[in-house]
Parts: sequence; structure tokens; C-alpha cells
Amino acid sequence: MNIDFTINGTKASVDVPAEMPLLWVVRDELGLKGTKYGCGKALCGACTLHVDGEAVRSCSFPVSAAAGKTVTTLEGLSPSEEKLHPIQQAWIDEQVPQCGYCQPGFMMAAAKLIKDIPNPTDEDIRSNISNICRCGTHPRIIKAIRRAAELQRISATL
Amino acid sequence: MASKTSAQEQPNNEQPQKKSLTRRRFLQVGAIVLGGAMVAVYPGRIPMRRAAAQMVETMDFPASISSYRPDFWFEILPDNTILLKSPKVEMGQGIFTGFAMLAAEELEVPPSQIKVETAGTSTGVIDSLGTGGSNTTSSLFIPIREVAATMREMLKTAAAKEWGVDVSAVTTQNGVLTSGNRTMTFADIAKATKKWDIPKTPALKPASAFKYVGKDMKRVDLKPKVMGKPLFGIDQTMPGMVYAVIVESPYIGGTLKRIDTKAAAQMQGVERVIHEDGLIAVVAKSRYAAEMAAQALDIEWNIPQKWQQADIEAIVTVGKGTEVNVQNEGDARSIIEKAGEQVFKQEYRTPLGAHAQMEVNGSIVHVEKDKATVIIGTQVVGLVRDEVAKAIGMDAEKIEIRIPYLGGGFGRRYAKMNAGNAARISKIVGKPVSVFNTREQEFLNSVYRPNTHHVLRAKIAANGTVEAITHDQATPDMIIENMSGKAGMTAFGADFISAGHGASILYNTANRSATIWHNKLPLPVGIWRSVGIFANTFAIESFINELAHKLGKDPIALRLSMVSGTGSGSEKIYTRYANALKTLAEKSAWNSPKTPGTGRGMAMANDRKTVAAAAVEVTVTDGVIRVHKVTSVLDVGIAINPEGIRMQIEGCVMMGISAALYEGIQVKDGQIGASNFHEYPLAMLRDAPEIQSFILEADDVPYGVGEPPIAPIAPAIAAAVFDATGVMPRSLPLKVA
Ligand code: FES
Ligand code: FES
Repeated sequence: MNIDFTINGTKASVDVPAEMPLLWVVRDELGLKGTKYGCGKALCGACTLHVDGEAVRSCSFPVSAAAGKTVTTLEGLSPSEEKLHPIQQAWIDEQVPQCGYCQPGFMMAAAKLIKDIPNPTDEDIRSNISNICRCGTHPRIIKAIRRAAELQRISATL
Repeated sequence: MASKTSAQEQPNNEQPQKKSLTRRRFLQVGAIVLGGAMVAVYPGRIPMRRAAAQMVETMDFPASISSYRPDFWFEILPDNTILLKSPKVEMGQGIFTGFAMLAAEELEVPPSQIKVETAGTSTGVIDSLGTGGSNTTSSLFIPIREVAATMREMLKTAAAKEWGVDVSAVTTQNGVLTSGNRTMTFADIAKATKKWDIPKTPALKPASAFKYVGKDMKRVDLKPKVMGKPLFGIDQTMPGMVYAVIVESPYIGGTLKRIDTKAAAQMQGVERVIHEDGLIAVVAKSRYAAEMAAQALDIEWNIPQKWQQADIEAIVTVGKGTEVNVQNEGDARSIIEKAGEQVFKQEYRTPLGAHAQMEVNGSIVHVEKDKATVIIGTQVVGLVRDEVAKAIGMDAEKIEIRIPYLGGGFGRRYAKMNAGNAARISKIVGKPVSVFNTREQEFLNSVYRPNTHHVLRAKIAANGTVEAITHDQATPDMIIENMSGKAGMTAFGADFISAGHGASILYNTANRSATIWHNKLPLPVGIWRSVGIFANTFAIESFINELAHKLGKDPIALRLSMVSGTGSGSEKIYTRYANALKTLAEKSAWNSPKTPGTGRGMAMANDRKTVAAAAVEVTVTDGVIRVHKVTSVLDVGIAINPEGIRMQIEGCVMMGISAALYEGIQVKDGQIGASNFHEYPLAMLRDAPEIQSFILEADDVPYGVGEPPIAPIAPAIAAAVFDATGVMPRSLPLKVA
């Protein structure tokens, strides 16, 4: 039976087992590789994406739960390659990624955070994001989220 | 000149040497310089490639470039950008940015005009020694600039010929050659030139003339990373690709007792269950189906011995195994022996550790009748190729290895990446196959940071100075049998057969000695960011801090008194130690009053000539240790990209905090006691302290930066905990009862 949802603005219809994690559907059925596998057990956040605007660890989220909903992955975060989302821009400005593997998950978690808390304190950031980065980019992630929040405020006033 | 065959069968194990490219060498290396898409039809390319192949076999680049179908380092692309094929892999270190900066200096182009990508076995030169050991950028500091400078002169010479002017009348800037009012781009001249004249290797720019080296440069690889592009091995696909999961014993040394594959084979999406010559794997249409079916396999294992943590620690204990003395100055051991009960003695332990790089290991392999293609994130390209060749009985020449970006390395991508088994699976099913570990496999069937045990003793003279220090360290053997393919010991040197690296006492006491006791563990251990320096610095520096406490001295003052140089060893290194210590004291405000309730601690290390010192401030509340501030001082010799160095320092500080506070694997009932991150927690955002980094440049060559800053972190935290609580933790992860 097909499961239908919208992904990054496009309609998708997949014929897969209902309990297949959204992570593998997005990566292997739809070919969007920005969402990463890290642990498969909702422990690391590498697979974070948005379902109807909520940040979700897609390795532990059955595709059936996305039926009829709107899914956004890192590939769909910015309107275009030229016009980056504040999170992406801030990530470059603050030179965050090292190997970069964990970053899609962090960026999706952070994009949600600055939507909910437009002016987050360091404490807000530290206590709300529990993703894992092995390269140790944490100090820059904190800086970049604050910068992204600022970019978001600036663009809101334009 | 060595024959082609012998060079391929024996990886180049020459010790790194600093040698210039001679003119003769460059003549042979010519093809490395100009080639690529736009000159693909250039008739000279094939003979030049052959010449390059011969040349690379005799080459003694400090980076040990291998001879696998060499092609070239640089290509000039039609849009006049310059493509640099890196013989080293990018796993987060930012080396591509440093390479572009170095080449830019001699090519007289902005670094943004240079694009860097990893060479594959069929497209460029690869480094047989692998990427690691923090030597990547330093080993190529001279070669990259020499090749770039020679290429610049070749382009100028060709333009001069074209215009009929003397080469001295040609200048170049931003990839454009100019003489009078005539101009031509690098791309134009590369296209027009049929025969290249190769000049003597030009003199390199002095450091004082560097335009980019030493200045902060943004990383060149970030845009695709923030756009979610498919950069990593696990992101790659091949047409008709299937997915496989390999099943290995979850018990140390376990072997198969019984298997029933029926249920798994009938599951949805499963193409085949393989059970052949020790290989158990499920092949399916999707990764999800493969994983589910692997879990559905009905398997029992023989467990030869139910190893427990106490067994593992007993094996790795000073006095057990083979004794190797690595430092013996003065009369340390007999002084300590004679002093008997009077010596100051402490013991320390570090546990087995996991690399936990975020991208699991694996590869995508397509074995065809007469060739094979492997996409794999590895630190040892040549060794993986040998492993695959052996696994499928194919000539290594016919195997192409492509290297994507690596989702972290930290030493984990030297061995046990399963490429040989992936190739076997592809051969059996006759299709391209994607074979990546589950995180559970990554924990349970891995290569681990070796556990260690340390006994340190010091004799304090009547006048309160340190008369003698001895360090006995126990460590398991590592690497050799775990390396994919061959190479092994000779390539890495004696330091690396164990976690012995950094066991020596760096302080200038007249009597000092270091002894390694190495022994065999039943599980594989290997390099983990900074090898033995991590464990040895934890033990030695903790001991020095305890010694300072015992003597009632300030730990920085005590160290300064032991780095003034009349002992053996070069004076320069002692000056660099003193410099780093003084900078640390100043920048961390070491002597300023402490906030009540905080503790301070510091430590220092010398990791392959990079001097790393750190000071930290912690609080301990209800047994929870929090690191609030870290000041890191790193003397790197020459800094190529300070911004890149700061990123490495921050990464090391975070990994150091993680290892100090949380990480450790316990063996239990024959198994590795951590199967995923819930049993092996890592530092998170809430653990990030304020970090200040200070880069010193007290030498005239660049030293490594990717690992050294981690060494002082754990002992500095231990000392700060001691300062705050009066209780000295002597094993990792640090605990206050
Ligand atoms: S892969 Fe989903 S949380 Fe780790
Ligand atoms: S950047 Fe490598 S794991 Fe986070």
C-alpha cells in the first residue's frame, strides 16, 4: 500500500512497509542523502528532520506516521542554493563543520529551535539540543545558532 | 629504478625524508603537472603518464606517495581554475584549505582559484602511509609548493616561447600570464602547448613573502556540507545497487555454532542470505530490509571464554608481557630502587575506548568480471585495495578505489572496514552492493583505543628537587595484525606498535626512564586520536601535578624549574616548553584569585614536536564535574591556517572533555559492554566550555595540529578536580565518589 506525503515541497508516494523508518525512506527510496544515519536508536540526532514543523529523529519514526504530512529535510531548508536559510548562512559564517557528518541533524534541530525561541540564550541552546558531534564543533554550533537567530531577526524586519 | 611490480608489491615504507624535487625528478613528474579534462587529447599525455609512473616508484616524497597508477597532482580546468588532487583524505581536518593556501603561494593565484579533491587510485597519487598521525599538512609543506612553483615556471616558459620573449619578461598573477600588453590564461597556454620545458626547481618564496600562509582562511569545503550534499561514502550509490548487512559474533573471539537462515531469507525485500567461508551476510533491496533480516537470523555462537573486565586489566598491568625500555637517562631505575619506600609513587589507568566517529564504516563495491570499483572512506587507501584484491582474488591493478569525504576518522579507518567482505558479497550476488555497519556493529565488532596501566615513581632529593622519575606503562599490542592488508609495523615505527607513544618523561631531570610492558589482548586495539600520547599524558602529567602538590609548589612553577636546559636533548625544545608554560600562565590568568568553588588544573605534552599546554577551570557539584573554561596553548612551529588550527584545538578540547568525563568501555561476560551511544555517552552542547586558544610559532617548520591539543585536557581536568575537592581521580573516566 502506498504512503503519501509531501517532501521539500514535492509530493511523494512510496510503496514500503509501514514501519520502515522515515530515515531510510528519505535516503534510499527518495535519494535525499542529507539526512544521516548515526545510531538508529534516537540517541544521536544525526537523522533529525521536520515533520509538519516538528523536529523528529527519523531513524525511529515509522514512515506511516508521516502519511499526509509535510516533511522537510536539510535539502529543503533553503529556498535555493543562493539564498541560504539563516542556519546555513550562520554555519558558514562561524565555520562550524569539520567532517560535517553530524551537521544536517544539528542544523535541522537548530532551525526548529530558533523558530520556537527567536532569541535563544546559550542555556536555551545547551539544554534543548542533545545531538552528538564527534569532531567537537559544539562551541561553534552554539555561536552559530545565536548568529542565525540574529540573521533571522534582521530578515524579519526587512 | 625499481621495477613496477616490486614497487607495487611492497608499499613504500621509507621513512619520511625532507628532500627537494631535483630537476631530474621533476622531468619525470612532468605529467603530474599538466593534464586533465581539457588536455585529455594532448598527445603527450600517455607517454608522460608512463614517465610519471616510473618516477613515482623511485620517489621519496616525505609523504610516501605510492605508485598505484599515478597520474598527476594538478589539472588546469577550462575555466582556469586549478584542480589539486590530494594524496591525503579529508575527514574533518580542513587539510584541503591548507593545501590550497600552500599551492596558491607559488602559483600566484588566490586560494579560491584552486579546487581540491581526494585523488582516487585511478586519478591521482595516493599516500601509502595513510592519512593520520597529524602529519598531513606538514609532510606536504614543501612538496606541494615545489610542484606548484615548478608548474608556474613551466607555464611562464611556455608563454615566453609562444610570444618569442625571454621568460624573465613574463609575469603571472591570478592565473593570467602577462608580457607587455599581451596576456594569456593558464588554461589557454595549457591547451596550446605541445611540449613542455621543465626548469630547475625554483627557489621557494621565503616565509616573509607569504600572502596567505599564516592568515585566517575560511574552509573551502563548507558550502556543500551545509547544503546536505551527498559527500560521504554512505551517501553514494551505483546503478542496480543492493544493500547488505554483515553479521559478526557479538562475543570476543566467538565463532558460529549454529545458524538457521530460513526465516530471514523469506522476509520481504531479502534477496539472499550468504553463509560462506566464515562470511554471514544478508543482501536485500533496502538497507532497512537487510537490517531487519539480519536481526531475524537464528544464530548461536560458541564463546571460547567469557572475558571480564578484570581479565582485560590483568593482562594490561605493569610487570606483565614484554618489557621495552624507551628512555633511560642517568641512573633513574637504580636510584628509585635504592630509595625503596621513600619514593613517591602513584598508579593510573585508562580504559578501552571507542572512536565513535559519526559515519559508520562501510563501503560500496561493484565487482565485475575483470575489474572492481570500491567507494570507501578510509585513512589507508592502498591497504584497502590490497585487502579487496586478496578477498576476491583479483589483481590490485584492476581495482579502483574512490575516496569520498570521511564522516570522521580519529584512527578508526585504518583497519576493520570490511571492504574485503563487501567485495566478496558483490562478487557472490553479481551486483554493486552497499555494506555499512550498524552502530551496534561499530561498537561491538570494532578496533578500540587500548587500555593502559601506569606506575610512576619519583625520588625527591633533600633540597626538595626531583632527583629521578620512572614511568612504567602497560599497553596491549596494536595495529599490526589488524591493518587491512600489509605494511604494519615498519610503516608506523616502534612507537606505534602499542600505546607507548609519549611514554617518555619530557621534563629535564638528570635521571629519568620510561618502560613499556606490552602484552596481547584478545580483542583488537588501534590508533585513537593521538595514539599513546592521550593515555601517557594523562598519567605522567597527573603525576607531575601530584608531585607539585606534595612538594608544595605551583604546578607551572615546578614544570618551569624542570625545563631549563642543561640535560640532554635539544635546548630548543626546552625553550619552547618554557615559552608555552609562561604563555599558559599569563593567558589563563593562572595566578589570579579563583572564584570560590572552582578548581584549576593544567598539563602539557610534546606530541611529535608540537607543544600543547592547557589550563582548565571546573566545578564539582554532587559528584558532577563541569568544565567551564579551557585555555589551550599550542606551539605549532609554523601556522598555515590559524583559523583551521583553532578548529582543531576546539575539536580536541571537546573530545578530551568527552574522554575525561564520560568515555570508557568495560568488557562483560565475553562482550564489549557498550552497544550504542546510550552505553557510551559523549560530550554534548551542554558540556562545551568557554575555550580560548593561543597559537605559538616557535620553529621554522609546521608541526601537526589535529591530535596534540587533546593530550593535556584529561590530566588538567583531573588536577582541577583535585584542586576543587581534595580527591585525586587516577583513572578515566574521572569520577568523584
Ligand atoms: S540516527 Fe537517528 S538519532 Fe541517531
Ligand atoms: S562535524 Fe564531524 S561529527 Fe560533527
